[in-house]
Amino acid sequence: MVNPIMLILIPLLTVFLINLVNIKWPKFSAGLSFLAIALTTGMAFTLLPEVMQAPIEVVIAGTKAPIGINLLIGPLGLMLSLIILVTSLLVSMYSFSYISDERKGMYSGLFLLLIVGSLGMVMTGDIFNLFVFFEILCISSYILVAYQRNEHSLEASIKYLLLGSIGSLFLLISIAILYRGLGTLNIADIAARVGELPPSTRIAAAAFFTIGIGVEAAIFPLNSWLPDAHSSAPSSISAMLSGFVIEVALVVLIKIVFSLFAFAALFWLLAVVGVVSLLIGEFAAYRQENIKRMLAYSSIGQVGLILFALSLGTEAATRAAFLQIINHAAAKSALFLVSGYMIIRTGSYQIADYRGIARRMPVSGFVFFLAVLSLVGVPPLFGFFSKFSIVMAAVSSGSTGATVLTGLVLLGTVVEAAYFIRVLQHFYQREPAKAVTAARSERGAGAESSIEAPIAAMLPVLAFALFLTGGVLLLGSITGLADAAVQDLFARLVSVLA
Amino acid sequence: MRKVVTGLLLAGFLFYVGSLLAGIFLVDAPEQPRIVGSTILAGAEDEAGAANTVTSVVVLYRGFDTLGEVTVLFLAASGIALLFGHAGKAKIKKGNAGPGFILRTGGRLLYPFFFLFGLYVIIHGHLSPGGGFPGGVIVATGFFVALLTGDRVNIPEGWFALCESLAGVGFIGLGLVGLFGEAGSFLAQVFPLGDFGSLVSAGIIPFIYAVIGVKVAAELSGAVGRFYTSDEGETL
Repeated sequence: MVNPIMLILIPLLTVFLINLVNIKWPKFSAGLSFLAIALTTGMAFTLLPEVMQAPIEVVIAGTKAPIGINLLIGPLGLMLSLIILVTSLLVSMYSFSYISDERKGMYSGLFLLLIVGSLGMVMTGDIFNLFVFFEILCISSYILVAYQRNEHSLEASIKYLLLGSIGSLFLLISIAILYRGLGTLNIADIAARVGELPPSTRIAAAAFFTIGIGVEAAIFPLNSWLPDAHSSAPSSISAMLSGFVIEVALVVLIKIVFSLFAFAALFWLLAVVGVVSLLIGEFAAYRQENIKRMLAYSSIGQVGLILFALSLGTEAATRAAFLQIINHAAAKSALFLVSGYMIIRTGSYQIADYRGIARRMPVSGFVFFLAVLSLVGVPPLFGFFSKFSIVMAAVSSGSTGATVLTGLVLLGTVVEAAYFIRVLQHFYQREPAKAVTAARSERGAGAESSIEAPIAAMLPVLAFALFLTGGVLLLGSITGLADAAVQDLFARLVSVLA
Repeated sequence: MRKVVTGLLLAGFLFYVGSLLAGIFLVDAPEQPRIVGSTILAGAEDEAGAANTVTSVVVLYRGFDTLGEVTVLFLAASGIALLFGHAGKAKIKKGNAGPGFILRTGGRLLYPFFFLFGLYVIIHGHLSPGGGFPGGVIVATGFFVALLTGDRVNIPEGWFALCESLAGVGFIGLGLVGLFGEAGSFLAQVFPLGDFGSLVSAGIIPFIYAVIGVKVAAELSGAVGRFYTSDEGETL
C-alpha cells in the first residue's frame, strides 16, 4: 500500500531536485515536474479503493494525534486531491510549449509548490498544519501571478499579496483563539470539544476563520483581488487558480464550518453571500471586453454558485456542488488554456479582436464552444447534470428562502449564457478582425493558414473537452465518489446550532 | 452627513469587534488542562531525547510544520530570484570612495566569527536556545557583513542553489528513513538517543537542525545576494 503522505512528499522532493537541475540544465525541469505529477496522480488513484472502505489516518513523527500532526484522507480529501492532480497534470503538459522563456525552470518548481499546498490543505487533520499549507499555496500563487513581470501582473500580485496576507493573519488569529480555549490543534479533537468554548469565543473564531480563508475562496466582498490576479497570470496558472485553488479553499472552509462552527445563521449567511457573488460575478463578466477578465469574473460567479449549493446543508445539494466543482475545473481550465494561445497568436486580450478566429483555430474554437456549453449547463454535457442537480436540490430543500435564491441563480445563468454567446458570435463571424488576419504561427503567415496552437498544448485541452462530453458516461462512478465525499463531510456535522 | 454616518457605522463596528475581543481575551479562558502541552512536557525527554524541549517540538512533534515553514522560506527566496533575478542586472552603485581601509579590515576580521557563532548555534540547537533557524540567519548575516564592508566574497554560480537543494532533499530524506524504517512514520525518531544533554544526543534532531541551518543560511544569503548581483555572475 502507498502511504498517502507520499502524495505530498513526491512533489516536494521534486521541487528541491528541480532547483538542483536548474543550475545546469533548466530545460529538463518541466519534464521532471510532469513525471512527478504523473507518478503522484497514479498513486492517488491506487488509494481510491482503500479510502472508499475507510478513511486512512497517517501518523507523523511516530506521535499519535492530538499530540503530533496527522493526515486524514477520506473520500472528500481524495476526491479533491484527484481533481487537483488531474487538472495539474494536464496543465503541466500544456505548459511544455506555453512557458518557453528562460525562467521556465523556476516556473516548474513554483507550479509543483502550488500543488503541494493544495494537496496538504485537503489532506491534513491538523488546523495549524492547514495554515502552513495554506501559506505555501498562497505564496506560490502570489509569485506565479507576477510571473510575467509586466505592470499589470505586478500590480495584481501586490494587491493579491496584501489582501491574502491579511486573510492569512485572520486565519492565524482564529487558530490562536481555538488553541487558547482548548489547548489542542487537531481538528477532530477540537471538533469533539468545541462545545466547551463560550459562545462569544466560538463566534469570534468562526468569524476570523471565515474571513481569513474567504479571501482565498473569493467570497464576496473579499474577492476584489481575483479579476486582476486571474487575468494577469500566465494562462496556465489562471487555469490552475480558477480550476481548483479557489474551490479547495472553499471546500476547506465548508469542512471546518461543518465540523467546528455549524451555526444555522452562518449557513444562511454563506448561502446569501454565494448568490450575491454569483450575481455580481456574472453581471461584471457581462461588461468585460478583455477575455481573461471575463473568464475571471465568470469564476467569481461559479464559485458563488458552488458556495450557495454547499451552504444549503443538504446531502443532495452538497453532492451537486461537488459535481459542479469537477465541471468547473474541467471547463474553466479548458477556457483559460484555449484563450492562452489565442492571446499569443493575436497579441490582444480584447474579445473584439477575436472576430472570425474560430475559422483559423478550429479546434480551439470548438473546445471553447463545448466548454462554454458545459459551464452554462446545456444537455447532454457534464455541466447540465451538475447545474440541474443544484437547482433540483435547492428547490426540493423546501424553504422559501432557498427557492427565492434559486430564482436568482437562474437569473445569473441567463446572464452567463448571454455573454458567452456574444463571445462565440465573435469567434464564428465571417469577417475576420485585423488581429486575426495578421496572426501568424511558427509555420508562417497568410490569411488562410491555420494558426492553431501546437499539438502538445492541444492534447490536454482536448482531454478536458473529452471529459466534458464523455464524462456523462463516467457519471456513475463520479457520483459514487461524490456520494462518499458527502458522507465524509456529513459525518463531521454533529448538529446544526440555532 | 456622510462623515457622520461613516463615523457612526465605524463606531458601531468597533464596539462589536471590541465586545467580541473582550469575550476572547479579557474573560478568563475556561480551566482546561493544556493536554498537548503537558503531554509533550512529560514525555519529551524519553521520546525525543533533546534537552531543549522547544527543539523537540519544532523538529519532531511538529516537524512536518517545520518542513512546511522551510518550504515557505524557500518560496520567498524563489520569489525574489524570479522577480529580481534577470531584471536588467542593475548594479547597486557603491559610494564614490568605496569602503575604506578600516571598514574593509574590520569586516574581514568580523565575518569569520559570525560563521563560527552561527555554526555553534546550529550544532547546539538540541541543547540550548537557538538551532537551525537563528543559526542560519547568523551565518547569512556573516555574508551580509562581508558584502556591506565591500570585501568581495566570490561564490561560484549556483552554489547557494546547490546547498539549499541538497538541504531540502536531506530533510525529506531524513524523514523518509523513519517512514521506510521500523517506525513506519515520516520524521520519526529513528536514531539512538545517546546521553541526555550531551552534544551527541537526541538522535535525528541535530541532523535535521543542521540541514535546516544550511538551508536557511543558503536561502537568506542567496536572497540578499540577488540584490547585489553584477554582470560578473553571482558575486557577493
